[in-house]
Amino acid sequence: MEQIQAQIKNQFPDIDTEEGEILKIKVSPKELRSIIDFLYHYKNLPFNFLKYMIGTDEGETLRVSYILSSSVNPAVNIMVITGTDNRENPLLYTVTDFYNTAQFNEREIYALLGIRFINNPDMRKFFLNQDWVGYPLRKDYDPNPALNPVSVESREINDNSFVIRELPDGSISEEVTKIFDDDDYIINIGPQHPSTHGVMHFRTALDGEVVKKIDIHSGYIHRGIEKLSENLMYPQILHFTDRLDYLSANINRHALCMCVEKATGIEVPERAQYIRTIMDELNRIDSHLLAWSAHTNDLGATTAFIYGMREREIILDIFEKICGGRLIINQNVIGGVMFDIYPEFQKDVKNFIPYMRSRLKEYDRFFSHNVIALGRMKNVGILNIKDAISHAVTGPSGRASGWSCDVRKYNPYALYDKVEFREIIRTEGDSYARYMNRLDEIEESLHIIEQLIDNIPDGEFCAKTKAIIRLPEGEYYQNVEAGKGLFGVYIESRGDKTPYRLKFRSPSMSLVAVMPLICKGEKISDFIGIGGSMDYVIPDIDR
Amino acid sequence: MRSFSEYLNDLFSGIRSLLTGLSITWKELWTKKVTRQYPENRGTLVISERFRAELKMPHDENNEHACTACGICQMNCPNGTINVISRTTETADGKKKKELDRYVYNLGTCTFCNLCVITCPSDAIVFSNNFENATFTRDKLVKQLNMEGSKMREKKPIKKVENEAEKGIQTA
Amino acid sequence: MLLNYSQPLELNKLTSRIDAALHAALPDYWAVTIELVLVGILIIATYALLAVVLIYVERKITAFFQARIGPNRVGKYGIFQTVADVTKILIKEIIHINRIDKFLFYTAPFFIIVASILTFGAIPFGQGLQAVDFNIGVLYVISVSSLGIIGVLLAGWSSNNKYSMIGAMRSGAQFVSYELSAGIALMTIVVLSGTMQLSTMVESQRYCWNIFNGHISALVAFVIYLISGHAETNRGPFDLPEAESELTAGYHTEYSGLQFGFFYLAEYLNMFIIASIGATVFLGGWMPLQIAGWESFNQLMWFIPSYLWFFGKVALLIFFSLWVRWSFPRLRIDQLLNLEWKYLLPINLVNLLVMVILVLTGLTLTDIFY
Repeated sequence: MEQIQAQIKNQFPDIDTEEGEILKIKVSPKELRSIIDFLYHYKNLPFNFLKYMIGTDEGETLRVSYILSSSVNPAVNIMVITGTDNRENPLLYTVTDFYNTAQFNEREIYALLGIRFINNPDMRKFFLNQDWVGYPLRKDYDPNPALNPVSVESREINDNSFVIRELPDGSISEEVTKIFDDDDYIINIGPQHPSTHGVMHFRTALDGEVVKKIDIHSGYIHRGIEKLSENLMYPQILHFTDRLDYLSANINRHALCMCVEKATGIEVPERAQYIRTIMDELNRIDSHLLAWSAHTNDLGATTAFIYGMREREIILDIFEKICGGRLIINQNVIGGVMFDIYPEFQKDVKNFIPYMRSRLKEYDRFFSHNVIALGRMKNVGILNIKDAISHAVTGPSGRASGWSCDVRKYNPYALYDKVEFREIIRTEGDSYARYMNRLDEIEESLHIIEQLIDNIPDGEFCAKTKAIIRLPEGEYYQNVEAGKGLFGVYIESRGDKTPYRLKFRSPSMSLVAVMPLICKGEKISDFIGIGGSMDYVIPDIDR
Repeated sequence: MRSFSEYLNDLFSGIRSLLTGLSITWKELWTKKVTRQYPENRGTLVISERFRAELKMPHDENNEHACTACGICQMNCPNGTINVISRTTETADGKKKKELDRYVYNLGTCTFCNLCVITCPSDAIVFSNNFENATFTRDKLVKQLNMEGSKMREKKPIKKVENEAEKGIQTA
Repeated sequence: MLLNYSQPLELNKLTSRIDAALHAALPDYWAVTIELVLVGILIIATYALLAVVLIYVERKITAFFQARIGPNRVGKYGIFQTVADVTKILIKEIIHINRIDKFLFYTAPFFIIVASILTFGAIPFGQGLQAVDFNIGVLYVISVSSLGIIGVLLAGWSSNNKYSMIGAMRSGAQFVSYELSAGIALMTIVVLSGTMQLSTMVESQRYCWNIFNGHISALVAFVIYLISGHAETNRGPFDLPEAESELTAGYHTEYSGLQFGFFYLAEYLNMFIIASIGATVFLGGWMPLQIAGWESFNQLMWFIPSYLWFFGKVALLIFFSLWVRWSFPRLRIDQLLNLEWKYLLPINLVNLLVMVILVLTGLTLTDIFY
């Protein structure tokens, strides 16, 4: 890290760097692309993985921070910070040509903060309508409902997109481009569709049965959780995390708890760590089982769907007994867990493990080798490792493309450094690899639980915390491996009991963003199947 | 071009995999069915004690509750589900005293995050696991938790609520 | 045959008595007209009744495959569930949609239901229980049942809905392909039995069902017939035209109320029709199990009325179809066509040739043993 810092100092003498938990580099908008270019092509450790892209309203300036990491060693992070003082017409340069995942992030920042990015190929607002008045994440946003009345009339979807170009003389021009051709045969998959796994809208141009182009239209359930969090105390924000990726509810909540604990220096009792880790893994099995079921259902095997749900029910029953919630688990609190385990918890989990193993064998016989299922999954929706990294596709889907990106391995949290487990990596990158990865990860999760379940130490299950938790001034972030991939929480605190800016890094956004790429040229029915294999959850995107 | 033997191999291995699938469903045809028949099974239905279905304010046999109307639950509620309405009365010795008038709870907006129960300093509220809360109109979901004519328990309650689970954890 | 007089439960005596009474009381043309009307009413009534039963049976069996218990609210074990559903469908509003081709839109369900009923009429349900008995019965059944596809295409086209359109186009491709296989598989048996008349075909299977008579070749034809018949009914794993996870409901997305009911009815009855043709052609139709030489056993078998034999065989095939449907994922359109054109059709053609050789060289079971 020092070496990188020294080289940056050497190459860009007038750039501020600041060492902290991670290296922070402050650059002007003009220099942004050159420094990212330098980092992107850094020898042996190319910073080709854009983990976070955070827009913040600093009052005077509108700031954008990029947390960059390397696919080779995702534990190394560098934060590049840039910003603009122009609040009327803020413009920054795009980084979409380095990181494809920046595409959606830049559109999100445009919608929520109003910063437009020069040369971004598709500069529409994400989540919000193009004619939305005001930028919600700005501190001077006027939430008056009269400004943005609820429209009760059907509105045509605008097919115009915008590209901002900088002319050689420094002036700015705005080009209007069409997303679809006039004679494209477009069908709407979503927002009400059985297989979009939520309220997602894919506008799909078809050529016969073949997918020509997909335009993703999101935001139907955008709740503005990041904005809402700015007015809530930390324990109150916790209940939002369960409602992001509701299938990894416990894992998401774990991330925010750890982030706050890290910032305030709360020591989490050993017992709580064990409970958290076991619950996380149960939650992961739950998430993967649902993914498996939904995927089989997308491929038309309703029976398999019901078998998966039947097994999932056992986990949900355990959840209900331990913390009173089934989907919205509500177990982690700052400092530990809300409820201690119930007396038969160990017995229940130990009964579940061999049962689940036998089920996995049955799934394997029933579906994994079925000739029709193989035909529907093998060599379908191939995502190569380069695109996976560029789109920041993490989790089982990223690992199916051969990218080792398990946070539990490279940045162990809770008890993951004490347990032994395999990181499942496949290199095919097709639907089948993603499908098999999930089933194999269920097995690994069972293995992790086995190692912990008998060794839960006695003691407190929750540390004592202050009634009102204030985070010291600074920036904090925490990554976890959720069911779908890297889930992250970023908090900027100004020392108040509420965060100044809170950002959730959602894994599903990348999974959806990569869909147009891997579905191009596939059949429409495979588009559904690939969607099932990517296993995205929409509320996670529409935060 | 694939050879003819490969063609046959594909064909037969495909058929075998299909037959395996059929054998699994045949086995499942005879397994125990997992459907739970509600409401017939009401008598045997086990709902976890920790299940949070509805906020309750336990009253003892003298129609007394433990709420001091301090409003901490209302302050901690993330989305304004709880509304504690208090009144000031004068006690016999002429002191002014804040007392609970109405404790209004909107089940319709509650997210069951348990923060109110955790933070309550006098353990006046608990979550019950009575999940049958369906109503025909939304305004029926707005409930008053303190009973008519109830008043605060004079002595500070020493005993904890017996069921640790219902009460949640204690924070300082 | 002597045995025929000892069948107490057969309906052919009843029908001939009614026929005789009508002819005695009325002039010939009136008698025939009344008989036609009676038969028509009976067929339509059976059709509706069978649909109600089939829907219930499918839902129950599906549930058992999926570790559920299925309908259980209306009546004991939910037996009146479909009755309630039918009532609901009958009194439901038919939603009139703007910007559709109204004439075609409203005609399409009738095409489907009429094609299905026409085929239904030709099925020999039991001894003497066959309304239409052409000497080219097999051809009639194949051609009339194909009319249904016109309804599907019309529904898809006239709905002015892209999902419907894709569903209908898939259905067209699928139907044309699989009709070929089903037809050739049936032709294989026509070669074997030497007749196209369904009643003669049943009669000829008295001591040896066609599936045994033509051994290897007939068995292959039977499997191919089941696959392609299954595909023709648009049911999983060949349910691409309505693929609910892709096209919501395919060609009948826009239909509501009774019009949707027609599609639904026809789907279930087509399943029944495919199974009953299969039973008639391959498994001896209504003919009870007979073994040459075992006279007392044969007599015993005749005590079970022929229509029960028929429905028993059909039920077996329907169960098999449900079993397949709820075990496998859906095929993709290109895989579906691959299966037909690369596997089923070549095998089928070779099989037809083998059957011709078998018949010509006298290697069928009846040739060998009788």
